[in-house]
Amino acid sequence: MQSHSSSIQPPGRPVTAQAPAGTWLIRLPANGSLLLDKRALFAVLSLSVLLLGAVVLALCLGTTNYSPAEVIEALLGGGNPMTAFILNELRLPRVVAGILSGAGFALAGCLMQTLARNRLATPGIIGIDNGATAFAIASVVGLVTSLAPPEMALIGAATATALAFGLAGGAGTRGYRFIIAGIGIGALFGAFTQLMLARAHIDVANQAYPWTVGSLNARPENAVLYMAIGLAVGIVAALALARALKVLRFSEPVALGLGVRVNACRYLSLVLAVTLTALAVAVAGPVGLVGLIGPEIARHLSSTRTVPLASSALAGALVMVLADTVGRMMLSPVEVPVGIVTAIVGGPYLLWILLVSPRNTP
Amino acid sequence: MTDTHLTPSGSRRLLPIMAAALVLLGLVCFISLLIGAGNIGPADALAVLLGQGSDDARFVVGELRLPRTLVGVVVGATLAISGALLQAVTRNPLAEPGLLGVSAGSAFAVALALALGASAATLKVSVAQIGALLGCLCALGAARLRGVGDDPVRLVLAGAALSSLLIALTSLLLLIDLGTADEIRFWIVGSVAGRSLDHLSEIFPSVLLAGVITVLIARPLAALALGERVAVGLGHRPGLVRLLAVLSVALLVGGATAVAGPIAFVGLVVPFVARSLAGPDIRRTLWLCLPLGPLVVVIADILSRVLVQPSELPLGVLTAMIGAPVLVAVVRARRLPTL
Amino acid sequence: MLVTALRHPGRLIGLILGMVLSLSALADSRTLDTAYGQVKVEGQPKRVVALYEGAVDAAVAVGVKPVAALATRGTTGLARYMDEHAKGVAIVGTARELNLEAIVAQRPDLILASPQMPKAQYDLLSSVAPTVVPKTNVYEPDNWKSESRLFAQALGQAAKMDELIEAVENRAAQLAEKIKAEYSDEERTAYVVRWMPQGPMVMSSQLLTAGLLEMLGLQVNDDGLVKEGRPHSDPLSLENLGRIDSDWLFLATLNEEGQAALEAAKKSPAFARMKVVERNRVIPVDGQYWSSATGPIAAQKILDDVEAALLP
Repeated sequence: MQSHSSSIQPPGRPVTAQAPAGTWLIRLPANGSLLLDKRALFAVLSLSVLLLGAVVLALCLGTTNYSPAEVIEALLGGGNPMTAFILNELRLPRVVAGILSGAGFALAGCLMQTLARNRLATPGIIGIDNGATAFAIASVVGLVTSLAPPEMALIGAATATALAFGLAGGAGTRGYRFIIAGIGIGALFGAFTQLMLARAHIDVANQAYPWTVGSLNARPENAVLYMAIGLAVGIVAALALARALKVLRFSEPVALGLGVRVNACRYLSLVLAVTLTALAVAVAGPVGLVGLIGPEIARHLSSTRTVPLASSALAGALVMVLADTVGRMMLSPVEVPVGIVTAIVGGPYLLWILLVSPRNTP
Repeated sequence: MTDTHLTPSGSRRLLPIMAAALVLLGLVCFISLLIGAGNIGPADALAVLLGQGSDDARFVVGELRLPRTLVGVVVGATLAISGALLQAVTRNPLAEPGLLGVSAGSAFAVALALALGASAATLKVSVAQIGALLGCLCALGAARLRGVGDDPVRLVLAGAALSSLLIALTSLLLLIDLGTADEIRFWIVGSVAGRSLDHLSEIFPSVLLAGVITVLIARPLAALALGERVAVGLGHRPGLVRLLAVLSVALLVGGATAVAGPIAFVGLVVPFVARSLAGPDIRRTLWLCLPLGPLVVVIADILSRVLVQPSELPLGVLTAMIGAPVLVAVVRARRLPTL
Repeated sequence: MLVTALRHPGRLIGLILGMVLSLSALADSRTLDTAYGQVKVEGQPKRVVALYEGAVDAAVAVGVKPVAALATRGTTGLARYMDEHAKGVAIVGTARELNLEAIVAQRPDLILASPQMPKAQYDLLSSVAPTVVPKTNVYEPDNWKSESRLFAQALGQAAKMDELIEAVENRAAQLAEKIKAEYSDEERTAYVVRWMPQGPMVMSSQLLTAGLLEMLGLQVNDDGLVKEGRPHSDPLSLENLGRIDSDWLFLATLNEEGQAALEAAKKSPAFARMKVVERNRVIPVDGQYWSSATGPIAAQKILDDVEAALLP
């Protein structure tokens, strides 16, 4: 652990450990200290810069392209009213919704993958995406008229999770049974959605479309608000759990021996993952692939010592914003929803990463 | 093979179970001929089977109910067997044939054909089949890239990624062409209604080929379950066996999807149940899949005719509604069988 | 005052002119009753964006060509029956995904939208230009009339639309006379279906089409197969084709040419057995306006089809 000790220890003072290679040791007052992984920090910083760049791109590009100067002018309240409208009312809310939902999906995915010890795990495997979609579409199609689609999406996600838990017989969050129950629930909801869409009038089926593929077009405001709140709480909670999660990657006896409350940590992470996904689906629809791509990118850039929570969130936001911009430009004037773009690009990308990386043990 | 003390503990004798399943299947098929969404009730149908009966009744039983029952049997058997094969090859009890990109491939092919002007009513069966095969070949090809060999896990990953790509491309197509979107939403829920024996005969060659392949690789697959080295030691070639299994899956699923549209869940649930009854030997599982698959599909078809008379519910919805609880029940009640 | 006006004709004319002008100024600002409340439209809208097939139909019918509309076929196509009227119309998305930026970039002064438009989109668009979303939700045969009237009112052409609707009704009445003369009472029941391999979908008797057919003296049924509030039934079981086997069958197709679709349907033995098929009384029609379009132009085309089929 001691990489290089240099100074002579004065007598009577306790031995101070040197930081391990690749980390920074920051001394805090009152004999405290903070150990930061250099590579993780680098990942967070570079992803933040990339995200900023993506945001600028997203605001500048579109049916009409604007220069960064025009963008800034409009955001500050000046400029041509049409430009101001397009930027403030159309593009900016889209970018914000994209950042929030992308971060939510990716963070939830990272949590789930740590819990399940499987790089392919997302909350979607327990049927949340399908449940949320089915309920939201029930509202669009008119089966339920008292609640709006985003609220219904939240209820649907909660119902799917509860069903999966209940049917698994409470066998624990890592249980085989839980996943299987989730697959069953997911398939049921999926079939139900197909049925509703097949029976609806084509106009109504068209309106339900964004809920089936995931789209950032004119998202309802309150959903974005809930997402913002949820994400803020979620990030804080996740960072608080970060340490425990790091240790959880070892086997259970080791984790217990190191003083981590394994069960509490697992349940809390699961609840967090499910909530974040539910909120994100209520905003953007089922764009579950971001929950796989985001953490994968984060793992590439960040170190293996930590669970890359912050990096995943940033990477997810980046993917979502980029995908949305590409979707708007691809077939202009027809917009391709962000869910389709992530799937078209994400599928092969995922494949490439998983095939290329050595000793792949998903 | 019939001495009880020679069979492994925890799994019962195969013969009684097979017999029971076959009898049940026969019964269910019989019921399928008697029940329908129309006015021809069981009494009239019975009359037809005994040689009498009105013209209408004879038409309904002979031209409508009989073909769809037969199609249901074939679809059920092919899907179940393909599921069992895939689960054995990938050592993953949750593998579904759709994972290989076959369902997505056939859906994409159908969407493309509809967009190019065909009609759902006249679509040739071969379109979906070709799509399924191409999907599978792409997955195989992708898995073989970079000298990765045929590690089954990577195959599943390749298939899953390819599936999501194809589904996305299909969505893109449907986004652009709303007419296609309108027509395909009925195909995509799956149905055996209105399918005739002609359709069956069109997929017969590929299903037959798949059947032959399956028979040939059954034994090597069983050996493979003992571990790769053991299998090689016994003289089998794991790579070839896996490749053939995957091809067989593609042919079977392609055929089933081509005739009935994508039917969810049968390829996942039936092998699961079969395995829990038959034990870890893949050969016994395959045998059991033969009657169990059709059982699920024909029961689902009967229900689809009965629940919303005088209309019918789509088959894919019912297989999910039946399959999901069965899956959960099996998981809760029994100790999960290993592969 | 009247006495002095009579003595000075110039002033009389001026007075009348003034009254007329002020009346029309009042008429220039219209308040419409839409699904999302009262919407005020001023003047004669010149740049109209139509986000709904019925709106395109209504606008073109009263002589106002929209500057932009949604693609319903491919990325560039409007409905086939609108093709001739719609050259040069800009595309601003599809019915599934509206391209809001493109709509705004068109600088519209009026937006005509679909009854299904969600609130979030409506809020955004109505801050750009007055947005008209018709109230109709339940399926009724006369929906198209109130929708078209609403759109025409927004365009300031309410009177013209009334004329067009009346023209449709009159023509329907005339054709009804001829049909009644040609076919006896028992020979006039009809069904409108879309053919799927697993069975036909019966169109609701509450749609535009059925309403028109009723006006023409045909008795349109859905035989209780279509539940309330649904536009069409689930696929009817092939065993129950007897229920739609009446005097006339209108076969709506979406993708194929009519005759080809008919041949395809005949491949199904259950279909070929029906008496209406044997008597050659199955009429293939274009599903695009028979089952989903609404508006005066669509209505006239339906009347054309029926006339050609029943009164050759």
